[in-house]
Amino acid sequence: MPAPVGVILADDLDPADARDIARLVPDTPSPYHGLNPLTKAVIATVGSIGAFAAGGYIGPIGLNLVMLLLAFRAGVLGQLVRISLLLTTPIAVSVVLVSVFTRAGRTVLFEIGPFDATVEGVDFAAQTLVRLFAISLSIGLFVMTTHPRAFVIDLERRGVSPRVAFVAVATIEAVPALVERAGIIGESQRARGLDTEGSLRARLRGLLPLIGPVIIGTLTDVEERSLALESRAFSRPGRRHLLWAMPDAPWERVLRWVLLAGLAATAIARVSGRI
Amino acid sequence: MSWGRFDTRTIVLIPIAIAINIVLGQTVFAALKVPIYLDSVGTILVGVLAGPIPGLVTGLLANLIWTYVLPAPFHNDYAAAFAIVAAEIGFVSGVLAQVGWFRGRPNTEPTRLVVGAVVVAAVLLAIGYYGFLPFYTDGTFSFFNPDVTADPFFTIVGYVIAIGIVAAIVGLVALLFVRRDLGVAYVAIGGLGCGILSALISAPISAVAFGGVTGSGTDLLVAAFQQAGSDLQTAVIQQGLLSDPIDKTIEFFIAFVILQTLSRRFVARFPQGEKAIGLEGA
Amino acid sequence: MLALSGVSYRYAGYAARVLHDIDLTLADGEIVGVVGANEAGKSTLCLVASGLAPGSIGGGLTGRLAIDGVDMKGRPLHEFSTRVGIAFQNPATQLSGVSGSVFEEVAFGPMNLGLPARETVERTKAALASLGIEGLREREPRRLSGGQAQLVVIASLLAMRPAHLVLDEPTAQLDPEGTRLVGEALRRLAATGTAMLIVEHKADLLAELCRRVVVIDAGRIALDGETAAVLGDRRLVDWGVEPPSSVRLGRALEARGLEPGLIAGSTA
Repeated sequence: MPAPVGVILADDLDPADARDIARLVPDTPSPYHGLNPLTKAVIATVGSIGAFAAGGYIGPIGLNLVMLLLAFRAGVLGQLVRISLLLTTPIAVSVVLVSVFTRAGRTVLFEIGPFDATVEGVDFAAQTLVRLFAISLSIGLFVMTTHPRAFVIDLERRGVSPRVAFVAVATIEAVPALVERAGIIGESQRARGLDTEGSLRARLRGLLPLIGPVIIGTLTDVEERSLALESRAFSRPGRRHLLWAMPDAPWERVLRWVLLAGLAATAIARVSGRI
Repeated sequence: MSWGRFDTRTIVLIPIAIAINIVLGQTVFAALKVPIYLDSVGTILVGVLAGPIPGLVTGLLANLIWTYVLPAPFHNDYAAAFAIVAAEIGFVSGVLAQVGWFRGRPNTEPTRLVVGAVVVAAVLLAIGYYGFLPFYTDGTFSFFNPDVTADPFFTIVGYVIAIGIVAAIVGLVALLFVRRDLGVAYVAIGGLGCGILSALISAPISAVAFGGVTGSGTDLLVAAFQQAGSDLQTAVIQQGLLSDPIDKTIEFFIAFVILQTLSRRFVARFPQGEKAIGLEGA
Repeated sequence: MLALSGVSYRYAGYAARVLHDIDLTLADGEIVGVVGANEAGKSTLCLVASGLAPGSIGGGLTGRLAIDGVDMKGRPLHEFSTRVGIAFQNPATQLSGVSGSVFEEVAFGPMNLGLPARETVERTKAALASLGIEGLREREPRRLSGGQAQLVVIASLLAMRPAHLVLDEPTAQLDPEGTRLVGEALRRLAATGTAMLIVEHKADLLAELCRRVVVIDAGRIALDGETAAVLGDRRLVDWGVEPPSSVRLGRALEARGLEPGLIAGSTA
């Protein structure tokens, strides 16, 4: 898949080099993917916080529908819904149980033992669920359509310090690396007879010897990693000239401001009691 | 008292600390199935080794990245809302480290150990008796007055809390004497304080954003408290004050043990490392 | 030219010195090998020569480190990085972990220098070419083999255009194939005029690449001379160094009363 149209390449590059660099830019399978990462981040933020600012049902349900529509256009609808359901279900169950049955309310629907289900409880639960789903969809959509490095490079282009950019990207790599490391150490410990299945005590006993070497090992790496970075001028202050960055159209800038203004207006209206 | 520095070593440490947060946070909960999350050990380490501000930044970044940047299966939709709590944990552990509360004090003489044990017991008892018990039982609980008729629910809760506090005291005192390390007392009080603070800060966020639930067993507690008459906010605080101090104290201890295990040479190279673990023994 | 004069060093928090009165010169384009027992001070020497000690790890340095005549005392670390690059044993911890492709990994250093994009790309292409790894440019760094990763590490250092390269046991954690790859890369590099200081236990590699070899024993320079002479010196074993295979073969022949040079390549 070719690089997104209009990807920003450093302007002093040879055409041949420019083509080569363009091949390093992550793919964008749909126009939504190709939007500037900050735009997509704003959409996610407005979607999630907006569900709270709006209050009631109409606003949050509307936001949910918008996210679903965008996901459909981006071709990630099925995946997004599946993952959102997966993540939200445990909380949803709790919300229903806690809010419906134990929340104080006046109009009782039915009773189970000492617990009474109230209309107010159902109302609260329903609103909370819609909001939770809005959060899940909004953020899920962002994460699914945005390549993390593209996002961080875009932030750096806008003036975020290269060190913050480094931390963000390094974290993305560090998490799977740590899991892998734990897997390797876990294997060698299982080979030596340490238990990781079974009763709580057995699992605890199996987990503890695992945690130690994994954590200590990954921490002691810090020393050599910092030395290697110093050898590549990492501590030199100042901005960098990036090789590529995601495009940012003028209409996207307008959209971002409009969305954020809308969010602020909604929040103010809600707080001052208009909605 | 230093606020901390962001040298290269710190910048390299932060992603690794965040990774530790996330992996511990997801694994321990999944493996042990108890509501102990252990998702701040990395943040605490940065606070201790690099200072309060780096600790704060690590907490913020950890939660924001957990929600906005990491893809499945490491993704967590709800972490970002609690970024402030994570920031507080990093900051508090940094400050405590600056005043030496994470220092190992091995081979403390028995007299000082006893003093430490008494202080810990006194603090726990005081918080428990004057703070927890009345708060949880609506002031109706009483150990010694058989004439007061209290709702059986409150009586049970009261006894559970009392037993819990006694058990905690016994456990901590035992640990103190087994390890002969007065540092245990400091870490315990520090973790407790941090836990209480975290519970108070996260309660409103949880109540407003997520209806007070987390999808785990503690939600039953929230339900119970609500059923007993507390409103949502209070119920969430009540649940939080039960689980957070335990969680944070355990995490403080884990960080403490990690700091003892890492070589002095390694720790000393961090901006606040030497201050955090004490300067003796070069 | 990299010159250590009367250099002694002790680690932070330790009173005892690890290096004593080191006088060592690396001339332009020269390739010098460093051998010695474990804990003799070879790695410390590398850290000092690259400025990381005391620049990054603290500690006390007495004596003088001068690069191209300039006293480097108190200079910021990024100034060292354009004059001397250092590679360590473990390729995994030397990759930045933030690049999606080998090309961007090698470009990391030049970008940190604040160079314009055109210059960065030039240097990156040149570095990849000098090690013959242009074919790896679009690969993900963490999926490379040990040997390939180590080549990328060296390339990312070369992109900084240092006149001197310090390599602390670059093949120690590599399998035979990786060792072969890196050995070949070093041979290519040797022809380009970069001065190199190579610490190695594999004396064979040094015998082939280096014009000079230095023996470190207990933090001091025990011997500094022409390769064949040093590697053939009978005291090497006392200093905890295994001679190259040619020398061992020659001595084995000698021990049986045969001519040391009987088998092609064997010496005494």
